Amino acid sequence: MADADEDVIRAPGADTSQIDTDLSDETQDFRLLSHLNLYVPPTLTDTTSTSLPKRGEKDFEPNPTEFQADVLSASRQAMHNALAHPRIHNTKNRVIGIYAPDGPIFPDGYVETPKDVGKGVGVAPDCCIYIPSAKGSVFQGIGQADRWNRLWLLPEEALYMIERGSLDIRWPTSMTGTTEEEEGDLSIPMSLQAAYACMLGRAGLTMERYTVYTGLKRLGYSVFRASGWDDSAKPETPTTGDEPDAYTEPRQRGPGLSGILSCIANWMDDPFSTASPAAGPLVGCGIHRSYGDVYRRMSLIPWYDPTLAPQRDPLDTIAPFRVVFHVYKPSTSVKRSALPSPDFRIAVVNTREQTTIPTLPQLSALLQGTPIDPPTGEKMERLMYMRLRHGYRNVVLAVVDQGVSSFLRIGDAAFGKEKMYDSKNAPRGQKKHGNYKPRKR
Amino acid sequence: MAEATSPSPAGPLNGNGRARTSRPPRPNYRDIHRFPLPVTIHNVPSVIPHNPLSLISVALSYLSCLISPPRKELYTAYFDSATSAVHVTDEKTINALWRMGFFGKGNLSRSEPSWLEREKKRRGYLGGNTSEEATRKRRAERRELKLERARVERQMIEERLKAEAAARESGSMASDGGDAVPAHPTLEKFSVKKAMEAKYQQKRQPAQQNGSVTHPDGTSQASNGKAVRFSPVVETKELAPQINDDDDDVDIELENEEHLQLSNEETFFLAYSLGALQVVDRETNTVIPTSSLFHRLCHHSHFPPRTGTADLEPDDPFLTSYAVYHHFRSLGWVVRSGVKFGTDYLLYNRGPVFSHAEFAVIIVPSYEHPYWSETQERKDYVARKQDRSWWWLHCVNRVQAHVKKSLAIVYVQIPPPQSSYDDIGGVLGQYRVREFLLRRWIPNRSRD
Repeated sequence: MADADEDVIRAPGADTSQIDTDLSDETQDFRLLSHLNLYVPPTLTDTTSTSLPKRGEKDFEPNPTEFQADVLSASRQAMHNALAHPRIHNTKNRVIGIYAPDGPIFPDGYVETPKDVGKGVGVAPDCCIYIPSAKGSVFQGIGQADRWNRLWLLPEEALYMIERGSLDIRWPTSMTGTTEEEEGDLSIPMSLQAAYACMLGRAGLTMERYTVYTGLKRLGYSVFRASGWDDSAKPETPTTGDEPDAYTEPRQRGPGLSGILSCIANWMDDPFSTASPAAGPLVGCGIHRSYGDVYRRMSLIPWYDPTLAPQRDPLDTIAPFRVVFHVYKPSTSVKRSALPSPDFRIAVVNTREQTTIPTLPQLSALLQGTPIDPPTGEKMERLMYMRLRHGYRNVVLAVVDQGVSSFLRIGDAAFGKEKMYDSKNAPRGQKKHGNYKPRKR
Repeated sequence: MAEATSPSPAGPLNGNGRARTSRPPRPNYRDIHRFPLPVTIHNVPSVIPHNPLSLISVALSYLSCLISPPRKELYTAYFDSATSAVHVTDEKTINALWRMGFFGKGNLSRSEPSWLEREKKRRGYLGGNTSEEATRKRRAERRELKLERARVERQMIEERLKAEAAARESGSMASDGGDAVPAHPTLEKFSVKKAMEAKYQQKRQPAQQNGSVTHPDGTSQASNGKAVRFSPVVETKELAPQINDDDDDVDIELENEEHLQLSNEETFFLAYSLGALQVVDRETNTVIPTSSLFHRLCHHSHFPPRTGTADLEPDDPFLTSYAVYHHFRSLGWVVRSGVKFGTDYLLYNRGPVFSHAEFAVIIVPSYEHPYWSETQERKDYVARKQDRSWWWLHCVNRVQAHVKKSLAIVYVQIPPPQSSYDDIGGVLGQYRVREFLLRRWIPNRSRD
């Protein structure tokens, strides 16, 4: 009757929203866009007209009705309208950035004083766009200010802001040959195409990484580069081979007195032990006193205990299986100067370059580079399945296949730490009668 | 219908069981499956410190075991090398293996060998339902509903076409200015889900609905999509088994034509770990000793099976999958094949009659030992063996999410080839397992 599982699939009572339906998987209904008032003139502060649209019904196959044809053409028209909608930079809060092809540079006419030699500009070397006189906080959670009150942007930050319509960037005077006096409104604007050409491929920014970055940013997450961004970065102290083995060996006798004691205890347990791992039976032919003993005697296969594994340098990993983004939930308050521990760590994989799923060494290194995050809390203590699902370390893999990214959360589970045969441990889950009760996850 | 099918609760008597009419009482699964393994347990009376007599009872129980060792149950199965399969034909053994640890699968059933019972019911000797029948009935009902939905949809399209044609007629007379198509008859879409729910609700109040079976034809149903009625076909189908019941009272002895089929991992687990099973070669009719059973099962994990003298390879599929099987069994899970969800194993807590499988397991070999990266040839071989595409992983993951199971990837570390495979425990002890739990991370739903 194992097949009763199939019932779950079609349990109609189950709230479909609980099964992870991902709205972003569906094709968008562009008709809804035309109801949305995209451009609200500044004079109009009435926001009642801009309510979020609802999804309509789906047709699954073509039929000869004109109605369907009308719906289809209306959809197409709405999509065209949406795409043809003029994207406007509001003059009021227009921000102009300047491209710095060689990375952070000093302001013109600045001479390094002996005191400041070696300090550099003071921003990340991968920055390549600066906003000359940033007043206040122009962008939230984006950019880095230097000593001359210029705001430096990383290539992905700049691209994201340009796509949003919040930033307008110019070619530097050094490349266009315009003179100093002409700077400002007369400098030459950079096109979107040129911006993509200049930013992508620069300092490790691939299309895949940009896709993940911009996708998460649009959802409100704060995204920052992690130390593993640079593929070639090596740990300062490479791991030596002599780290402790995290696999438990059930068949080994412990060292010293405790080992001897456990031997004696075993003998007391089963004085006429006939257990023979070499030829079986593993549990022996003797008299068994409890099922717990039987199970304990069966343990034979070494399993991995994540709590025994030492934390490794996050750089001690194999690209692309290394954390490149630290992601914070929108609710987490983030200060660039003092970043808290991230809510999620994301590694980005391009399926066309890394065509296979990770091997154990790759995955193991990736997870060991993340801090241990054991299942704690009242709920976890109570629910064994939840503990197992949470795992001891976790990381999110963003698998990008030609622009489509799917995220996988990988948890380091330890089934060996949860003995099912200890009846107090096991959930007493029962199948619910009938197929109509949704199972709680 | 659904509730009768559910193989569930452990309790023998449900509190409101009587209210739900004619359903036969559910078997007492807690009692039937009270032993988790086909191994006999002899409890020692506990020692009570302030009662010296308890010591005597402990000693007595030890003594009694010494003097007359309890007989150990040894079950028999047959190995058929032509099909690489292990069969159990003895009724008692079949029952024992299924009831104590959920081993094997009936070759004519979905899992529990229930063919005989089903056949008896089909011929009308017994009342009640087997799970297979219940599922079939439910599928038939769903099919009816789907047909009904298709019919309603077709009807909607026809009506719309008619309305459009009419609009065109009148529209050609009038000027083309206004909208040509009048307001469409708003038919609500037929939802199978809603229909099943409605049916469920209907079941819960059977008294009210009993009398009125006559439904108007489809047209009126379609207009109020929510209160869905069912075509009479379904109802007669439901009644069919009961009518058969009193047909013939002749008690013919039916021969059970079903046997239990054990997977290779299950066989070896029962024989090697528990010592509860002896395997007999069907051709020679002799008992296969455990060590040669080990070799044989390894050879038969390839297709075509290798010959008896071939060397074992460290990554024989049987070795890898047995390591995982043994690992989870020894932790107390009930491990069964996961082929129906595209995985290697399913892990049940206590057993399939008690709970849905919570975890689905896929096995990936891992070649971390330096031996495997010594030559280019080996590196290529290893890369080929570990090759799994992202698309495959996403497919498996999506299926598990849909059936509400958590996907566990289990990596098995393959040791280098051994000089001897005689020490089974020593060999298996070198296969290390590591589990990762995988699930989709949905940014939209993880924001807070």
